[in-house]
Amino acid sequence: MTGSSHNETLAAEYALGLLEGEGLAQAERLNAEDEGFSLSVAAWRARFTELDMTASPAVPGSGLWERIAASVVRGDAAAPQPVASPTQIRREGPSFLARLWASLPLWRAAGLVATAAALVLALALAAASRRGNEPVYVAVLMTDAATPAAIVNAYRDGRAELIPLEPIPVPEGKALQIWTLWDRERGPVSIGLLDRARSVPLGTERLPETRADQLFEITLEPKQGSPTGRPTGPILMKGLTHAPL
Amino acid sequence: MTVARATTAMPSPALDLEKALLACASGDKAALRAIYDSEAAQMLGVARRFLPRSTLAEEVVHDVFVKIWRNAGAFDPARGNARAWIYTILRHHALNTLRTERRMDLTDDLEPFGLVSHEEGPEAVVMRLSETSRLRLCLNALEPKRREMIVLAYLQGLTHGELAGRFGVPLGTMKSWIRRSLAVLKDCMA
Repeated sequence: MTGSSHNETLAAEYALGLLEGEGLAQAERLNAEDEGFSLSVAAWRARFTELDMTASPAVPGSGLWERIAASVVRGDAAAPQPVASPTQIRREGPSFLARLWASLPLWRAAGLVATAAALVLALALAAASRRGNEPVYVAVLMTDAATPAAIVNAYRDGRAELIPLEPIPVPEGKALQIWTLWDRERGPVSIGLLDRARSVPLGTERLPETRADQLFEITLEPKQGSPTGRPTGPILMKGLTHAPL
Repeated sequence: MTVARATTAMPSPALDLEKALLACASGDKAALRAIYDSEAAQMLGVARRFLPRSTLAEEVVHDVFVKIWRNAGAFDPARGNARAWIYTILRHHALNTLRTERRMDLTDDLEPFGLVSHEEGPEAVVMRLSETSRLRLCLNALEPKRREMIVLAYLQGLTHGELAGRFGVPLGTMKSWIRRSLAVLKDCMA
């Protein structure tokens, strides 16, 4: 089999979702780097999308759109930056958290980073910034150097979000994986994979309700995520949930 | 949740998805809502093929709309149609969720394949493709067993290994059957 027909088959297998492990990693790499390969994948996908159209439609629960709309608003900082037009300029000023972020180096410079003080302040600010939709638990994730690097807010309805407070260097071919430990018997469960530090909703809704003193942590993992389903790389930051003030 | 029968193989083409995606990329939330109104029920139907539990399937659709909003700027009409772009994100996310679930054994309480109703069986699904569909014609050119494998893989997100287990053949055999079927399809569709 020639290289090109091998790749053509791989593209089809990838488009259909047949691959796992090394084959999947290879296809993802080619899809990102090789124009011919990604066009071939797109062609296979376009052919097979017809099969998706044979699924019986299922009417979503009435709250689904509202939840989507809320997530989209929450994630606006990470959303595509619209080309500014006069009507769009009335975007809100820097959020409380943006100001918190901006103020963090200040605390450090001022020598105020007694860990406990920073933690309490971050907790208070994180809670205050979410008026009207307050998290029931907040975890401030601290680095080895005992500086706050991200906040996790967990809400009553099971949603949770990660808000980084400082950029995290991610080497080529690596990703940030977010974990939580709600049951020591089961061990850490992956709730998100990021290419870089940004605010995201976390996949906690399938887990039991977040509790006090539940561990959240971020490790450095291969780009596709930990191959074992457990943290394998260094822990970049971690923290336990607290009920906000 | 109510399940409506698909009346035709294609959903109503009333919305110009491509324009709507481009509008999303420029920050137009009404365009996202329009995509939701047009596609959410179909998307949920597809997600439920992978994840029969409705809460999980809705979760996938939720996440996919957030992704559509965030990534609309990456949609390039020159490189594929808007519907395929949206359903690729959906399938990718549903597959990852499914595999995570399987890994975490959260699906223990479900009979892995038993929940798929008759109308969702591979033969029935192929029958639901449009009479004039090239894909239908080409799938029908495959021997029934081979057709079933390809369609099942696509519908339920089965890997080579899972297909091999399901059909009781060695992994290498399954891989070469699939490869040959894909080659036949490619020639037929060209």
